[in-house]
Amino acid sequence: MALLELTDVSKRYGATQALDAVSCALDGRAIGLLGPNGAGKTTLMKVLLGLDAPDTGLVRVLGIDARQAPTEVRGRLGYAAEGPGRLPGLSGLESVALAGELCGLRRRTALLRAHDMLDLVGLDEARYRLVETYSTGMHQRVKVAMALVHDPDLVLLDEPTSGLDPESRDELLDLIVHLREGGGPAVILSTHLLHDVERTCDAVLIMQRGQVRFAGPIAALQQPATGRWTVRTAFPAPALADALRAHGAMAAPGERPEAWTVTLPPGADPTLIWQAAASAQISVVHLAPQTDSLEQAFLGAIKETAS
Amino acid sequence: MMRDEVHAIGYRRLEGPRPVWPGWPIARTLWVLGWRRRATKMSLMACFGVFGVHGVWLVSQLMARRYLNLGPRRGLLTGVDRVVGSVHEVLAAYVSIQFFVTALVIAVVASGAIADDRRAGAFELYFSRPLTRLHYALGKLLGAGLIPFGTLVFPTFVLWLTAVGIAPPGMRSELWWLAVPAVGSAALGAATLTAGIIGLSALGERSLTVCTAFVAGLLLMSGVCEGLVESGFEAWGYLSPERDLRTVVDWLLQVGHDSLSASLLPGRPDGNGSPALSLLALGAWIAAGLLALTWRIRREVRAG
Repeated sequence: MALLELTDVSKRYGATQALDAVSCALDGRAIGLLGPNGAGKTTLMKVLLGLDAPDTGLVRVLGIDARQAPTEVRGRLGYAAEGPGRLPGLSGLESVALAGELCGLRRRTALLRAHDMLDLVGLDEARYRLVETYSTGMHQRVKVAMALVHDPDLVLLDEPTSGLDPESRDELLDLIVHLREGGGPAVILSTHLLHDVERTCDAVLIMQRGQVRFAGPIAALQQPATGRWTVRTAFPAPALADALRAHGAMAAPGERPEAWTVTLPPGADPTLIWQAAASAQISVVHLAPQTDSLEQAFLGAIKETAS
Repeated sequence: MMRDEVHAIGYRRLEGPRPVWPGWPIARTLWVLGWRRRATKMSLMACFGVFGVHGVWLVSQLMARRYLNLGPRRGLLTGVDRVVGSVHEVLAAYVSIQFFVTALVIAVVASGAIADDRRAGAFELYFSRPLTRLHYALGKLLGAGLIPFGTLVFPTFVLWLTAVGIAPPGMRSELWWLAVPAVGSAALGAATLTAGIIGLSALGERSLTVCTAFVAGLLLMSGVCEGLVESGFEAWGYLSPERDLRTVVDWLLQVGHDSLSASLLPGRPDGNGSPALSLLALGAWIAAGLLALTWRIRREVRAG
């Protein structure tokens, strides 16, 4: 059973085609939903939640038809919206407990669970303060806790890192990785920050103008860059660059003094690198083909289909 | 050496059933938020004051009857009735006056029920959980409706029970049948206030505006309609919910002429000509409130 199955899903708001015949099937522990502003990410999330009914098409979430049984789907999903989504006058703890009770938890269970989730997202004494006094970062944490409180099978996070300082962002991304690697729910992370997806997700859905540009594992998106290799030596060895040049390859300094990016001549294979290292009497400790960064792959996917 | 170590619990799966009806936490949240306002506590004190005054009136009336019911003083009963009034009169006066004071409480507590949710963008928060539009509407109506239940319906029942409990033996049988009309008319008043405030909150933008508009609107409509009726335009009397309720209450409780005690209380002028039309007018107010609520929810939440 796939996490998500979309078949020819279309949704139009007036003159705007928010989703245009979207079809894909995705599985994984953490899925990145990528796309520029206006790509249709939030509309897709609302369609998954059953908050918006698609004009046409079939939406199945965790094997359940979101159009036929929206409340059943919502019972198994957690959602942290991008907008404010808060009840002024309630504390962070009360907000999270209320979210749990709305999902059917008893008052006592909801309160205990709310404390657990606020511990998990790292909101300490501030949980007793009113939500309207929170900073953006604290508010994002409360929203994530509200999405997790009822122990969903899948959590939808809409731009959870927007407005966060680097430290808070790092902690939130760590939390997503923790959920992915632990026994927590699967995560769909909607963002336009490629780094966030690269760090936390194992699959990606790229959207543009309401259409799917790519859907699948990140590894499938990041094609190996032909002829480019990362080489690391035991210690900094400038002589390796000369040796490689003598064998017809190009070597550029890498991220660290002992790392190099090597471009092989057309038709050559990596044994050339071993030969060059042996001739210069240098020990190679790491050799791996380079892949495109997610940014390159993302831009490639968008340009390729647009053209 | 011993060291304290902190171990994060991390994410734990949650077992067990999820039996809570989602309307209930919505209703409770409305009270929690309302209770935090000083105005709520002050208006509730006014409610207790009205209840206390009517309680004292009722008890002193029935104690006087018990005393005069004995032997040679029986002849004074008719004259005393004209001074302290009857149980019917106490209950009718309580429902009519408490209707106004409860309007203040319910306005303070429930004016933001829908308006604040719209302003804060909380619809998304609610409807991304497994609840339907009906759950939401019933939760809000329950939250608002239990306020007049606590200040109007239940105290009316308590007054009636007190009357039955301390009435002279010969009078009890006469009072038993009063329960249904007294509590029924209080429930009608409660339904009018609940639907009114929720409907207005569904139409309004800010809780303060809704609160002011509701209380001022009730007072203005009552005053203006009373004046128009006195000037001969009797049909206008049906536009005032308070006058309609008073008409229905007086008809149900068969209140006769005012006693001296009742004439000291505010707001007991004559009612409308037709109790049936007044009942219909109150039904229209309730329907209008519910329609406004339905319209707003359907507009804000496209599916579910």
